[in-house]
Amino acid sequence: MFGFSPDALVPQVKNRIGQCVLTSPGSACYSGLKAPLSIGLGKAPRFFGDGFQTAKKLGDSRYWRVPVMDGEFVVEEETGVTTDAVGGGNMLIVGKDRTGLLETAEAAVDAIAKVDDVITPFPGGIVRSGSKVGAKYAGMFASTNDAFCPTLRGTVKSELGPDSLAVLEIVIDGLTSKAVADAMRAGLKTVTDIGAKRGVTRITAGNYGGKLGQHHYHLKDLI
Amino acid sequence: MSGLTLRLKAPATERINLSEITPAKLAALSSHAMARLNVGFDKGGLALGDAFDISGNAGDTLTIEGSGASLDFAGSGLDSGTIRIVGNAGAYAGRKMSGGKLEIRGNAGNFLASRATGGMIHVSGNAGDNLGGVIAGDRFGMQGGIAVIDGNVGDRAGEKMRRGTVIVRGKTGEGAGTRMIGGTIWAEGGIGPLPGLMMRRGTLIGPSVDRLLPTFVDCGKHDLVIVRVLSRYLKNVLGDLAPKPMPLFIQKIAGDMATIGRGEILLPAN
Repeated sequence: MFGFSPDALVPQVKNRIGQCVLTSPGSACYSGLKAPLSIGLGKAPRFFGDGFQTAKKLGDSRYWRVPVMDGEFVVEEETGVTTDAVGGGNMLIVGKDRTGLLETAEAAVDAIAKVDDVITPFPGGIVRSGSKVGAKYAGMFASTNDAFCPTLRGTVKSELGPDSLAVLEIVIDGLTSKAVADAMRAGLKTVTDIGAKRGVTRITAGNYGGKLGQHHYHLKDLI
Repeated sequence: MSGLTLRLKAPATERINLSEITPAKLAALSSHAMARLNVGFDKGGLALGDAFDISGNAGDTLTIEGSGASLDFAGSGLDSGTIRIVGNAGAYAGRKMSGGKLEIRGNAGNFLASRATGGMIHVSGNAGDNLGGVIAGDRFGMQGGIAVIDGNVGDRAGEKMRRGTVIVRGKTGEGAGTRMIGGTIWAEGGIGPLPGLMMRRGTLIGPSVDRLLPTFVDCGKHDLVIVRVLSRYLKNVLGDLAPKPMPLFIQKIAGDMATIGRGEILLPAN
């Protein structure tokens, strides 16, 4: 999971686990990162157990067992956080067939999931609301990526050709720059392998004029 | 691997107290000071150099050879390194241990791992009563670490145990998990009669239980994720010493309902 600071992650993690993970059938939630700095993972959601929750400490990890209607929700008490990770590796997949485009993006996310030390932080790993840096409104740090919005083609300086129907973005965060590059390489390979038959016409990436972040990934170098 | 070897000079005619005799402590002493260490139970009692032939160089391993059941408190206070006991050990082995490894190539006496907070104990034989239990004045029994006993263990294993894991390849005696507060006892050979008297929390796992207390209740058949998490953890930590995983479906028996009843006995489901 990505956040703008460890402090900002705390309520996000609490809410997402309480509202999304705890509620999902068959789910459990484990720490994906051991690091010197940690935040609560199951610390708050365990209280959903209303006193029936129990803990099991194994090594340095404590697992909470919360009785729920499909059995037990197992959640690790804490997870590590790091401020040294790399966020925002991305690729934009352009297509002329909505179903084929989504299938291609999903396959790419599956391939990226096999790479260690990376996450695709958005739901399903796929983003339809790609953003640009800044906005016309004060206080907005990001806003819709108008150059890749197909319905604005003709009214803005569009990046899309006449046959583009939709664009999906895969965002990748990783513990190291190499992990992000490896993940992008895996995603690119999948898209180039299967995309053309499914109506993918182009793959690119947002570079935000090179202004966002210290790491730049050039797709041509990753192919 | 460097280390010292202590060889018992003659069969002990009195109890020998090996409390705080650890590789790290011996490594910090001169050979003269080491030989003068008191290993008796009285002030000015038996000296280490009188009881043992001392050989080798101080390092991270301490081997005790010719050991017998009169050697008490072996590995007590161990926080790092390895103590290897070739032969039997007496009572209180691994007491208050917080790290490192204690290997007993023989049987262990009563109160093995009492108040241990960490580290790893492996006994190739049997262990006596009150494994991981409390002695008078202790608030809790075992509070961390792992103990693996290849044989059977005596009565009241894990009394007032709070954390940690005990693996018994054989069977536990009567009253395993008495007054248990947490932690896990996994007996591959079966759980002896009347386990978990006044148990508050904690887990007893085994293929069978001899006789249940009337204050334990059947919660039915379940596929518990935590059992698989536990198995995976033990496999990572213990390798071949880890117990064989339980079947997918297990029967959960909760108790002691005479207290808060958050404890559990897990058996293979029929």
